[in-house]
Amino acid sequence: MKKVDIGTGIGLIIFSTWIFWYASAYSKATIYYYGPNFFPQAIAIAMCICAITLILNAIRGKSMERSDRIELKGFIRMVIAIVICIGYLFLMQVIGFTIGTCVFLYVLMMFIGQQGLKKRILSSITVSLIVWAIFRYFLVIPLPTGMLAYTF
Amino acid sequence: MDFTLLAEAFSTVMLTPINFLFVFIGITAGIIVGALPGLTATMGCALLIPFTFGLPPIQGLLMLIGIFCGGIYGGSISGILIRTPGTPAAAATLLDGYPLAQKGLAGKAIGMATIASFVGGTTGAVVMTFLSPQIAKFGLKFGPPEFCALAVFGLGMIITISGRSLLKGIIAALFGLMITVIGFDPLSGVPRFTFGSQNLLGGVTFIPALIGLFGYAQVFRNIEKIMTLPPVESRVENILPKISEIVSSLRTTFKSALMGTFIGSIPGTGCDVAAFIAYGEAKRSSKHPEKFGTGILEGVAAPEAANNAATGGAMIPMLTLGVPGDAVTAVLLGALTIHGLQPGPMLFRDHLDIVYPIFAGMIMAQFVLLIVGLSGARYFAKLITVDRKILTPIIFFLCVVGSYAMRFSFFDVGLSLIIGIIAYFMEYYDYPVSPILLALILGPMAEQNLRRTLIISHGDATIFFTRPISAAFIVLAVVVIISSYYRIKKATQIEEQNAFSAEDQD
Repeated sequence: MKKVDIGTGIGLIIFSTWIFWYASAYSKATIYYYGPNFFPQAIAIAMCICAITLILNAIRGKSMERSDRIELKGFIRMVIAIVICIGYLFLMQVIGFTIGTCVFLYVLMMFIGQQGLKKRILSSITVSLIVWAIFRYFLVIPLPTGMLAYTF
Repeated sequence: MDFTLLAEAFSTVMLTPINFLFVFIGITAGIIVGALPGLTATMGCALLIPFTFGLPPIQGLLMLIGIFCGGIYGGSISGILIRTPGTPAAAATLLDGYPLAQKGLAGKAIGMATIASFVGGTTGAVVMTFLSPQIAKFGLKFGPPEFCALAVFGLGMIITISGRSLLKGIIAALFGLMITVIGFDPLSGVPRFTFGSQNLLGGVTFIPALIGLFGYAQVFRNIEKIMTLPPVESRVENILPKISEIVSSLRTTFKSALMGTFIGSIPGTGCDVAAFIAYGEAKRSSKHPEKFGTGILEGVAAPEAANNAATGGAMIPMLTLGVPGDAVTAVLLGALTIHGLQPGPMLFRDHLDIVYPIFAGMIMAQFVLLIVGLSGARYFAKLITVDRKILTPIIFFLCVVGSYAMRFSFFDVGLSLIIGIIAYFMEYYDYPVSPILLALILGPMAEQNLRRTLIISHGDATIFFTRPISAAFIVLAVVVIISSYYRIKKATQIEEQNAFSAEDQD
């Protein structure tokens, strides 16, 4: 993890420097010496010190061995699942919560390899209807209805 | 301690069927979530908080308490049956639970875990009931320096126990603190790091952040590994251990329960630490320590009594001082604030109508847990075999709904997704996420009290050391961090030596 630690350390130094600089704009905002800039800047300094220590440890060969590794195929699967989720967020606003959820659950189950067609259909319809009913009638929390406002 | 109020609270909770129902639903949901590997008690509470938004505070809190207690107990079922702890708190239970299952005694192990959880949970809840009002009284003496030092202590503790690296724990906590500075400055009202977005003026909302850290991140890992997960089988027979077996484990159970309550009550520790320490102590003080790890009931009773006792213990600092004992109580603290209640000494002055039903609910939850656990163990065991390819999309969907329902905002869903992606990568590179959660709770408390203290003292930081309570917290935090540094260093050296000797043998 040496390279990862050095990369993360450099990233954190840049990030904390930016936080420190950005927060300095708040110092003029109040009459207090310990104004809104104080805490973010203090954290930025602490973060910078930690990042430098992380890099120094990595250079001295003290980086830890990774306990788990990301599988590339699995990672791609995860990214596609996130894309499906983003699609669902847009779809929900057009065709409403319940139908959108049915489609999302069905597609995601199919994508991750659920074999049974009946299981997919039944579970996606049941779950979306149950959650919709709980929110609609029990918790009375509004959910997006989309263009089918009178149905779901 | 007002016994009249406590008796009234018991009658409110027990004689109102709807309240009883919510405890029952909470316990059952908690056991299910806890028993399913990959779904922790923290995640269960995070996902089910949105379902309590529309409920009166007491009912919502009773349900969440049920999920908390049920979740911690439920983890033992999968730990015993498939050697995978359903929740981190059950990691010590499988050391003897799984060997028992291999001997064909899985049912007995689950039965003992249930009874020990009941004893532990009740001990923790009773101690909480009697001790909390006293600590809250003591907490009334706290001023800004004490609260700031307490927040530092809480963060120091969580950093030392989570993850394999102290430095990475500190970085995670600092990252969490950075998130808390987004939004209106609590003292001057200046908007900070909002980049002109109206959605960020109130800061990063707690529930979406929580669902990102513990919900989405886990779902992403499950999706990534879904093809490599082995199929699981579970079979449970005789649930109840013999009376003689229960009696012979009673000493260990009670001792572990008291230890668990004490450890749980230290801010930042939590149920998993309590379970491991109690297991270690049970082994050390046993007449036959060599039998631990080979499958003995005491080895199940000790960690289970301790981790469930720690639930009550962890509630003490959360309710009385506003500092969560662990990640799940941090979630419960968030739930209280959503219902307009600010945990801390003032809660015991202004909202006794809420505090006492929490005590009563916590005690009652243990009895419900015993009944549901013993009667439903066979069915909960079957749940472990539920198809992950159906379950994972459903949890993904619950994450979306949960992050949306707080403010009916798609912005929150997006933010939660981003936090989930960050948490997913953090865990892969050994950055623990629990310090972020605690920082989200303790950050505003630390900032406000630090600045107030420095303004009062005209910038003189020695005020933290001239006041005995704050000095004690800071010294404790420093001692804990330094001792943890040496402990981790020693553990790393042993690991390296083992690796070298293994290479030599090859």
